[in-house]
Amino acid sequence: MDIIVCLKQVVDPELPQTEFAIEPATGRQVREGRPLVISTYDENALEVALQLKDRGGGKVTVLTLGPQAVISDAFRLALAMGADEMVVVDDPRGPDRLGGEKAAILAAAIRRIGRFDLVLTGCESADWTERVVAPVLAEALSAACVTFVSRVEAADGTLMVRRMADEGFHRVEVRLPAVLSVASDESNRPRLPKLKDILAAKRKPVHVWPVADMPAAPGDLAAGVEVREVVIPQRTTRCEFLEGESAEQAAALAQRLRDLKLL
Amino acid sequence: MAPTREVFWNIPRLGVVIMYLLAFAAVAVCGYGVYQHYRTWRRGKPASRLTPVGPRLRAVVVHVLAHGRLLADRVAGIYHAALFWGFVFLFAGTLVVFVHQDLGLRIMQGPFYLYFQSAALDLMGLAAAVGVAAALVVRYGLGSPRLRRGILSDALVLWLFEGILVTGFLVEGLRIAGTRDPWGPWSPVGYGISGLIDAAAISEATIRLGHAGLWWLHFLLAMVFIAYIPFSKLFHLVLAPANVYLQPLVNPAAPGRIDFDKAERFGAAALGDLTWKDLFDLDVCTECGRCTAVCPATATGKPLSPMHVILDLREEMKRTGTGAAPGRVLAGDVIAPEALWACTTCMACMEACPVFIEHVPKIVEMRRHLVMEVAQMPDTMEDALRSLEARTHPFRGAGISRAAWAEGLAVKKLPRGDRAEWLLWVGCAAALHERNHATLRALVRVLDAAGMDVAILGDEETCTGDPARQMGNEYLFQTFARQNIETLDRYGVRKIVTLCPHCYNTFRHAYPELGGHYEVWHHTQVLARLVDEGRLALTGSAAATITFHDPCYLGRHNGEYDAPRHILQALPGARTREMAQSRQKSFCCGAGGGLYWMEDRTGQRINHVRTDHAVATGAEIVATACPFCTLMLEDGVKARGTSIRPMDVAELLERSLRGEHH
Amino acid sequence: MPGICVVATVPDAAAIPSSLELVGGARALDASHGAGVSAVLMGTGPGLREATDELHRHGVATVYRCAHPLLTSGQVDAFLLATEQVLRAATPQVVLIRADTVGRELAPRLAVRLGAALVTECVELAAENGAIVARRQTYGGRALATLVVTRRPAVLSVKPHSLEVPEPAPVPGRVEDVAVSIDADTLPARVCEVLREEAEVGLDDAQVVVSGGRGVGGPEGFALLKELAAVLGGAVGASRPPADEGWVPISWQIGQTGKTVRPALYIAVAISGATQHVAGMSGSRTIVAINRDPNAPIFSVAHLGIVGDYRAIVPPLVARIKELKGP
Ligand SMILES: Cc1cc2nc3c(=O)[nH]c(=O)nc-3n(C[C@H](O)[C@H](O)[C@H](O)COP(=O)(O)OP(=O)(O)OC[C@H]3O[C@@H](n4cnc5c(N)ncnc54)[C@H](O)[C@@H]3O)c2cc1C
Ligand code: SF4
Ligand code: SF4
Repeated sequence: MDIIVCLKQVVDPELPQTEFAIEPATGRQVREGRPLVISTYDENALEVALQLKDRGGGKVTVLTLGPQAVISDAFRLALAMGADEMVVVDDPRGPDRLGGEKAAILAAAIRRIGRFDLVLTGCESADWTERVVAPVLAEALSAACVTFVSRVEAADGTLMVRRMADEGFHRVEVRLPAVLSVASDESNRPRLPKLKDILAAKRKPVHVWPVADMPAAPGDLAAGVEVREVVIPQRTTRCEFLEGESAEQAAALAQRLRDLKLL
Repeated sequence: MAPTREVFWNIPRLGVVIMYLLAFAAVAVCGYGVYQHYRTWRRGKPASRLTPVGPRLRAVVVHVLAHGRLLADRVAGIYHAALFWGFVFLFAGTLVVFVHQDLGLRIMQGPFYLYFQSAALDLMGLAAAVGVAAALVVRYGLGSPRLRRGILSDALVLWLFEGILVTGFLVEGLRIAGTRDPWGPWSPVGYGISGLIDAAAISEATIRLGHAGLWWLHFLLAMVFIAYIPFSKLFHLVLAPANVYLQPLVNPAAPGRIDFDKAERFGAAALGDLTWKDLFDLDVCTECGRCTAVCPATATGKPLSPMHVILDLREEMKRTGTGAAPGRVLAGDVIAPEALWACTTCMACMEACPVFIEHVPKIVEMRRHLVMEVAQMPDTMEDALRSLEARTHPFRGAGISRAAWAEGLAVKKLPRGDRAEWLLWVGCAAALHERNHATLRALVRVLDAAGMDVAILGDEETCTGDPARQMGNEYLFQTFARQNIETLDRYGVRKIVTLCPHCYNTFRHAYPELGGHYEVWHHTQVLARLVDEGRLALTGSAAATITFHDPCYLGRHNGEYDAPRHILQALPGARTREMAQSRQKSFCCGAGGGLYWMEDRTGQRINHVRTDHAVATGAEIVATACPFCTLMLEDGVKARGTSIRPMDVAELLERSLRGEHH
Repeated sequence: MPGICVVATVPDAAAIPSSLELVGGARALDASHGAGVSAVLMGTGPGLREATDELHRHGVATVYRCAHPLLTSGQVDAFLLATEQVLRAATPQVVLIRADTVGRELAPRLAVRLGAALVTECVELAAENGAIVARRQTYGGRALATLVVTRRPAVLSVKPHSLEVPEPAPVPGRVEDVAVSIDADTLPARVCEVLREEAEVGLDDAQVVVSGGRGVGGPEGFALLKELAAVLGGAVGASRPPADEGWVPISWQIGQTGKTVRPALYIAVAISGATQHVAGMSGSRTIVAINRDPNAPIFSVAHLGIVGDYRAIVPPLVARIKELKGP
């Protein structure tokens, strides 16, 4: 099975709050001097792809979109884990684009890669959590789509996947070609690469395609959507204490959770 | 007539010929055995251990002749010394006979014969006989817990020793009685026996018969002894002194270097991936159990015993011989990975081993195989390494930035363009844990008060790579090391003071190999110096009882036991008390070797046990000099619910400096 | 031409579609357009009539109603076909979709098919001079983004529970039953099974984690925490001591040498907040601490704190949450 895995580079989501800042001009997180990592669930997606390859053979290509200059060592990790080659769509504006726009470019890149049976993405990115790339890719590529997949099994010509759902899990049978977004599961904890694979990864092919070469995709979902501002809510560093008798405290807490839309 | 004796009294010529033939055979068997071992050692990779000669010979004098390490266990040390010196003398006596008889150099006569060959040898033989008896009693009578019993060859060896000594004395007694030796009284034991024979009025014919019989028995036992050497524990007679000579002179815990441009395999998958010295070590082990007796992992019920690591590897070496039989995977088939991951690299085993076996490098080599070749390690350690790669420190989830501790302090920062004589290398365990911020701030205040010119790297500091190294990811370690050396050189750093002994050890021993040469001091060394030079006005009374916990990477790894104690003694009013296990015998806090990042759930937690040691002294404060130790002791104190307070030496010093009372 | 259409599903024969939340948002947007609010209501049949009435009662003028056996749990492809068919004809300007299991997949795909602008996971919606102003969380809740949508049509997905179910505002309603033809064999992805029994949320992915520490005192205390987690639809975690003591499985341990979690809500019960514990949960969006020691370090990372004995607080809290969540 030929699999394409879309990986996104993000600023380390575990960055201490003190180092988290927004660039007012773009409304995006300041990246400079911050560690960049592969977005959390994208590594799970890669692991799923590699497991499918381990079992059934085929080729795993990783695809990413962003400024080529900074997509370096962290992404070699994907090749070290076992991906066969990497395509970088060099896009200096990549980190500023909204999901719909990115998905359109990625779809163009996938068409250029050509053959694929399966496209995998993380279920959501660690930065904007838009959850749109997989469904949009599926539409753009006329492929089947399932999101938030925690397990995948290949069964001749189709896949049997397990989707995380509000009410539990769905077992879904999917035809190929398909686009799946992958959630973390104990079965897809990203593998630790072996050193020889890390060293070999340096010799694996990396194709860099300028974003300008990607044919403009029709129906950009982000056109007409503008980011007006992104603010870091003034979080009171001090904890807010709920006072009163136990029952009152409990009631106050329940109310606050509701206000915070957590119920 | 000059005092001497006839060498082959009562032994016919033919007997002497047979004796030589047998002796030759015994030596041949011994030589063959040694050669077989030699061939197995040669399977190992190269290691250079022959020079420098001077310090190595000095070590032999201290630890072989003077029994330096052996005497760490008093009882065993003393009986071993009796046995050792007894046999050295008797062996020398045999050589004298050889020179006298076979080389025809008549040295065995006159006062030399009387004082040395007769009196000294006789008494030393007695000492050896008593030593062997003591060994038998300790091992089989009292049942020493660290010694393995029921090993046939061990008992055999001891009885062989005793047999040779007893028959020797009997032969001597019979000869003195049979020859009416005028110099008999010079051999007191033999003379005593001859007196008994005289008293029993045994006929000369019987004496001759008994003598001949016992002489042959004595001789045959001695030949069995020689032939048996390479096949038994007796081998250590030869190997132990050799191993003392071959010991690592600096940084004994360091695993071998890996040149990633050339290496094809990383770490030890099979015996052949270890060095010849590692394989040699395996044969040297006398199974004395001292290493296991001091291992904190063993003591707290973990599935690790350093002696068994050595013995299991030896078993594998025996099984595979010179490499004909297919080898098994060391980490997994021979040694359980759980055992390898239980080692804190505390060096207690290596410090205790009387024959200088190097356990830790072997363990790390096997970890390297697990991490770099098969990519298998405990999950939370893996997370620490991933964190190291992604965010330059191993503390996944740390919510503070590196320079947060210095907020509000006027500390110079090299990246800001400041320049200073010294770089204070902060270390992740201090920078990223609030508990250690107090230590850092105290240290900075003390250095400042003493007028030292110090700067930090702030956000440009990263991990030294040490956790990666101890966990077995040498590649990641070297990546960090190169980057740090580049940074340090860019700022022209020459002198470094570190808070953390792990950083200290890494700069001191690991970076020079990669081209980073600095003058490195641990903070306690700098502080002790400042105290000595009178640059600190210690006005505040520190009227408290303080016990000091030696961090493994400061003490055993780097031999610094005195600096921190020196500081404590300088604190006005402080009373210090040592734990039973301190200095060379200190017990690990449980964090070393990357184990800070692993749950130590089997049995007891090491840090809890160490806390108990500190509490047992009755001290109010347990001082230490390592940010990891501080965290581990804090945890132990909490778990045990005791009131003893863990504090870094720098904190105590700073309090006294501020005139604050405890 | 109706201006705003909400997508409502009644997959489980529940009479009140949870999509009612969207109606409030739709009404807020509609006030400035005056084009009316419509809904696509889909289900297998049962409950559709009651749901229609509910929608009318809450101000939805037109309900396009589709009944089909495949319009049931998780059959996104079927919902997509039905919605697309309805909306191509109805041509609303704005489509609101609840970003639940179906909606989070449905919204982007529908947007592509309708050639619409798309914003997902909104938590607030407002109209402003003919544009829609949407707010959404970004960077794991660390920042709040405001987006302005000027293009029409637009598809907006709304994070569940972020909008209030509005007060009833009955309108004379219209129902249009739309016949959809969906062939199970042609669906590229087909749900074969719904596994409810495994629904107990795993710690790793739980949106709510109720975590207990040494102060919980024993397994009985954890039973109480389980109850709290259950009403919140979350999982139970622990600091190291309860795992050490065997009160809870070791796999529940959160922290430096345990799991890392980053839920929307983390409730630390009788946990002091040692750095090694905080390392595993500091990424949580909202942290609540219940501890009887007002100086416990956990309060320095918590957003909301209650000083007191958890045994006196958790039971009324469970009761109150049950009340608030309604039947
Ligand atoms: C190397 C290392 C790794 C570690 N890894 C982890 C890890 O992964 N995860 C982890 O959690 N810890 C870890 N620890 C341990 C950590 O340092 C703390 O000891 C531990 O988190 C403390 O757990 P606690 O808060 O439950 O207990 P305590 O610190 O004992 O706190 C109990 C709290 O409960 C409160 N309390 C008691 N009774 C009540 C009541 N009835 N109502 C309300 N409040 C009450 C008390 O006021 C107190 O604050 C690690 C430690 C070390 C050294
Ligand atoms: S280094 Fe320490 S923990 Fe490791 S085997 Fe030796 S004594 Fe045991
Ligand atoms: S390794 Fe050393 S200390 Fe351990 S049993 Fe062998 S000889 Fe004794």
